[in-house]
Amino acid sequence: MAMDFSSELSDTLWDVVICGTGLPQSLLALSLSRSGKNILHIDSNDYYGSADAAFSLQEADDWVARHSTTAASSTSVFKSASITKPENVAGLSFPRAYTLALAPQLIHARSELLSQLVSSRAYRQVEFLAVGSFFVFKPSSSPALAPTLVRIPSTREDVFSTTAISAKAKRGLMKFLRFVVDYNNPLQTEAWQQHADVPLVDFLRAHFKMDAELQTYIITLTLSLDGRISTRDGLATIHRHLSSMGMLGPSFAAVYPKWGGISEIAQVSCRAGAVGGAVYMLGNGIKEMTTGENEISLELTSGDKVRTRRLVRGEETGGDEKAIARLVAIVNSPLKTLFETMVEGAPKPGVAVVAFPTGSLASAGEIDIDCPIYVFAHSGDTGECPVGQSVLYLTMLSSPDSKNILHRALESLLIALDGEQQRPESLYHLYYEQAGSSMKRQQDGLIFGFPPPSLSLSFDDATLGPVREAWKVVMGEAGADYMTFPDREGYVDDDEMYD
Amino acid sequence: MASDDSLPTLKILLIGPSGAGKSALLTRYCDDEFDPESSAATIGIDFKIKNLAVRGKAYRLTLFDTAGQERFRTLSTSFYRGAHGVLLVYDISSRASFLTMERWFDEAEANTVEGVALYLVGSKLDKAEHSREVSSEEGQALADAHGANFCEASAKTCENVRRPFVDIVDQIVQTPGLLAAARRGRAVGTLAVGGGGGDTGDGNGYLGCAC
Repeated sequence: MAMDFSSELSDTLWDVVICGTGLPQSLLALSLSRSGKNILHIDSNDYYGSADAAFSLQEADDWVARHSTTAASSTSVFKSASITKPENVAGLSFPRAYTLALAPQLIHARSELLSQLVSSRAYRQVEFLAVGSFFVFKPSSSPALAPTLVRIPSTREDVFSTTAISAKAKRGLMKFLRFVVDYNNPLQTEAWQQHADVPLVDFLRAHFKMDAELQTYIITLTLSLDGRISTRDGLATIHRHLSSMGMLGPSFAAVYPKWGGISEIAQVSCRAGAVGGAVYMLGNGIKEMTTGENEISLELTSGDKVRTRRLVRGEETGGDEKAIARLVAIVNSPLKTLFETMVEGAPKPGVAVVAFPTGSLASAGEIDIDCPIYVFAHSGDTGECPVGQSVLYLTMLSSPDSKNILHRALESLLIALDGEQQRPESLYHLYYEQAGSSMKRQQDGLIFGFPPPSLSLSFDDATLGPVREAWKVVMGEAGADYMTFPDREGYVDDDEMYD
Repeated sequence: MASDDSLPTLKILLIGPSGAGKSALLTRYCDDEFDPESSAATIGIDFKIKNLAVRGKAYRLTLFDTAGQERFRTLSTSFYRGAHGVLLVYDISSRASFLTMERWFDEAEANTVEGVALYLVGSKLDKAEHSREVSSEEGQALADAHGANFCEASAKTCENVRRPFVDIVDQIVQTPGLLAAARRGRAVGTLAVGGGGGDTGDGNGYLGCAC
């Protein structure tokens, strides 16, 4: 019973063709998965996830080959990609033992993304791990000593029991935390609104008399790429962090989807789309497009010709904003000290965060960093590497020297973590740069375009707005409950015994 | 029998080319239904659940269909995660269907844990007499080459419908370490994100009481 899929493709007038399988397009497929609409979902890549994808080492090789150019590209947000493997260090496992995420974003417990995954029932196919401790890298005070990592206290008890900060500083910190929890109260807004646009660090210094160390803790929690987040955005970010703390379990504020982060959510959402009847094609993009009054004719790179009422796609180029540089390193150690649970009953974290504050990477003859570096450490529990190894994702604002700087930071971090039997060593490095963009979502007649992916290190709920708008465009007046579905599975209760 | 939630859960996938009869097999096994007119791609079935006891021990099977993503071979890596067993289904009345199976074996082996239970099923056995295009020996040989078990079955006549499911569960539970390997990590730190678990937040962790 061979079916002619090509004629099905061309004979159907599709309600929507979705192009690209990044998170926004995939969430759109999920949101439409019970709509009864005819949906064709394609991606020019032969993998799911677009800029949110996750790769085995083999797939990473292929991807790097296509994004190695150092010139800004008109077809991709990625460039300067390269892979290096240190010689004489054994221990790298087989390529499929790894899943390296292009978008290793943390998701705060209060994120609307989690609420939508729960209400749409897609969360059942995703496994979430806790994001545990945040650390700050402290350079050594003398050449004879190793640099250290200082853990940022994550609970009230923690603040009181820590020996890392003085009693006076603790009072200042608690005063600030109480302020943030209630910062939108009219009694509090007066204190900060006139400073809304100045950097949060300046506000912390002027209003809370915080010393540099405490300022660093607070900025680290914002994951601000330039370290100069405004008071307005900074307070909102810290508030999100604090109000997420404890929401899904003791002593953590954010979660991470196993097996590649956002990539996994994209894949599960596409599966939900397929279960709802959407047709999926990978390795197939749009070659030609003719827009009519009520429908669009597309010629796909496969040669198939399709007609659709709407086209939704993602913008995959950027460049008008600052870019980031990222170094992904596989390390031959479980780095246990990063993944300890600090509170009884807390889940074992799969992710830890280490920040190199501005100016913390001084070394002889080298220029110090003028923006922070953030390291997301993932344990083997994430499924992204074998148990006993770790994956480190180092991110900073891109500069001509960022590759060199990130390698220095990696080296310094491994020295700071050298407390276990064996000095941790890196086995594999993937480096790339990703362009940022301020482009907003676009609608042009029958075509809807999602903005390029956010460079934020924690998931930005602003990503979700355009998805809902696209859903409205496709659904028209019929749209009622957004992303709210009952479970699909039909339970079958009869039991059978075989011996 | 113990309550469902306490049963060990096995994830079993049905894969293979379009029109091989995966959904017919699944629906016959789980619901004892067969629709001879239904040849359209499957819509609306994510997975089915069936409780089954083998060697005196009960298991909860979650049986995942391809949801049409086999058509252009776009099954995701996430679909394969945590699978304990894979039923690879082809149509014995279609040589073209059988010829794709090498690639389906490759895909299954590449995306699952070592030692995963593989089971080859030649479906539409009711057509054996008049339109068989693949001999039983060929099926057995392909299965042997991949260390898989093999049988032929018919969702239409019910012949052998239960056998692949029972056999693959037996195969899974007889493989040392497979249950633990496929579950790897689900036990470690996995959070209850959908309802329950944790308190109501509002910064409780930080600011439990006014002080």
